[in-house]
Amino acid sequence: MLDIRNLSKRFGRGESAVTALHEVSFSIKEGEFFTLLGPSGCGKTTLLRMIAGFEPPSGGALVLDGQDIAHTPPNRRPVNTVFQNYALFPHMTVAENVGFALGALGKRQAEIDETVGRMLDLVQLGHLAHRKSGELSGGQQQRVALARALAPKPRILLLDEPLSALDMKLRKEMQVELKRLQRETGLTFIFVTHDQEEALTMSDRIAVMSGGRFQQIAEPRDLYDQPANRFVAGFIGETNFLDGRCEGGQLILPEAEAPVPAAHDDGPVTVMVRPERVVLGAAQPGALVLQAKVEQLVYFGTDTHVHMALANGNTLVARVQNADQSDAACREGETIPVSLPGGALRLLPQEAA
Amino acid sequence: MTDKRFDVRRLPAAATLAITCFVILYIPMVILVANSFNSGKVIGDWDGVSLRWYAAALQNDAFISAGITSLILASCAALVATTTATMAALATTRTRGFKGEGTIHLVLNEPLMVPEIVLAIALVIILAQVRQFTGYNGLGYLIIAHSAFCIPFAYMPIRARLEGMDLTLETAAADLYAGRFYTFRKVTLPLLAPGILAGFALAFVVSLDDVVISDFLKAPGQDTLPTYLMGQLRRNLTSEIYAISSLLLLISVLIVVGAWLLTRKKT
Ligand SMILES: Nc1ncnc2c1ncn2[C@@H]1O[C@H](COP(=O)(O)OP(=O)(O)OP(=O)(O)O)[C@@H](O)[C@H]1O
Ligand SMILES: [Mg+2]
Repeated sequence: MLDIRNLSKRFGRGESAVTALHEVSFSIKEGEFFTLLGPSGCGKTTLLRMIAGFEPPSGGALVLDGQDIAHTPPNRRPVNTVFQNYALFPHMTVAENVGFALGALGKRQAEIDETVGRMLDLVQLGHLAHRKSGELSGGQQQRVALARALAPKPRILLLDEPLSALDMKLRKEMQVELKRLQRETGLTFIFVTHDQEEALTMSDRIAVMSGGRFQQIAEPRDLYDQPANRFVAGFIGETNFLDGRCEGGQLILPEAEAPVPAAHDDGPVTVMVRPERVVLGAAQPGALVLQAKVEQLVYFGTDTHVHMALANGNTLVARVQNADQSDAACREGETIPVSLPGGALRLLPQEAA
Repeated sequence: MTDKRFDVRRLPAAATLAITCFVILYIPMVILVANSFNSGKVIGDWDGVSLRWYAAALQNDAFISAGITSLILASCAALVATTTATMAALATTRTRGFKGEGTIHLVLNEPLMVPEIVLAIALVIILAQVRQFTGYNGLGYLIIAHSAFCIPFAYMPIRARLEGMDLTLETAAADLYAGRFYTFRKVTLPLLAPGILAGFALAFVVSLDDVVISDFLKAPGQDTLPTYLMGQLRRNLTSEIYAISSLLLLISVLIVVGAWLLTRKKT
């Protein structure tokens, strides 16, 4: 439903120009929970503001339901935003805030009242309809902002880090709540966050951004298991990186005892392996086997992180489920064999780290 | 944190000075108001409390007509000044920086820098010509002149309010399908109202109080409250002047306090 083609944004002119977004292209499907994920300053807000119409693009097209809306003013786009600071109108009550868009669209008062009632029920704030918006807690303001943006039934809801101002507990609750709302309304969400866990748990698809470019667009599981490059692998979850080489269908790691078969072009590669896939102790068939010295055990309750040093000084982290293995599996200071199963290895082109 | 820092509030002289200033400022006011209730005819000769001079003032046609002139003048001038100041403030904060923005500030605030007497003399010279040319001799000249020098007083609180306003509120309104005018009417204006009210009150009081420009520009026979009082002061000094002054003081205080109360409630 939304097609973004070669969309770019430059701020300023000449020498001091900043390119916030380099020609990005992607499509969003109806009813999708699409997340923009990336470190601070990567252009997430800029992209969202262009979709909302607050910022004119420097180039490219923004096609919604077959129409290019790149230069349509924000009040004519069927797209609403939940702002990071909520931006509730302080001089209006909760109900007036929620009904604002319908009033601007010239709807009849009876219809406005009916919709406002329904929206407030949806976010469970019916009892606060006549409060001034300044007299609400952060979580309540968040819900009002949501109801206000949902009331005019937009085609797409844009959310710019809507949960970042909430404390941890409330944040988790709102994540569930948001996901429920999205399912119930069947609405398309574009969600911005720099919290990878939030992105993984909520999204249908995630676009990982860095430096104004898209690094990868994929479903959460694929993003985690098959990152396209070192940036994505490092940004999503925790990862071990080891440098090696491919030669004649064999992966050679300097630290490993023997090479393993690998379907990859010859040349230097970076091997990525998630800590929970590292197996301590017994060598497994078809796995890369390394000798590692256990340096530190860090206890996390459900699991323990085992920090190890390899012969050449590189570090390797393994995550061991405390339910599976007795803590006697290894002790600090001892040297043990470690297996990296073939299926857990992901080979990435080597790049300057 | 333990070392004794220089703190103005702790200087013994500062407190004394502040109190002295207060006393010098307010004691004369108290004496003035007290004397307005003196039933005696001569000032300084206390003859019991009465409202006699207020009654006299209210039957004094010259005072009533000067009072009405002053109120009309102050209302019109404050209205024009506040409207202009509001538009100027919107133009200087709600648009991207444009050429000549600095000049606009300068023009708006000119009356604060130019000595009033200089402005008055300049206006007298020009208006003499205009008067001759048009033959018009009404309150219009005073309204225009007062509007002009009231603008900076109205402008300051309005601009301060606009600058403190969260810009994302207007963005949010646009996002929620509001056009420019709807946004202005439903979001910007209500949030700006306390500033506009404060600006209006300030302009009103400044206009009400003006002597120099009014005295220079008024047509023969025309009088505002301050110019009428000046005239009376030169002639017969009765307690009626105190009553009239007290009334002027009362109006000013009521306007300022009223505006302050209204502003406070809205924020
Ligand atoms: N109005 C502007 N003028 C100039 N540069 C800007 C402007 N807005 C954003 N930028 C620049 O564009 C880049 C992307 O900014 P953007 O706000 O989109 O980042 P972000 O991904 O939302 O970051 P964060 O997670 O911190 O919110 C940054 O380098 C920023 O400095
Ligand atoms: Mg941002």
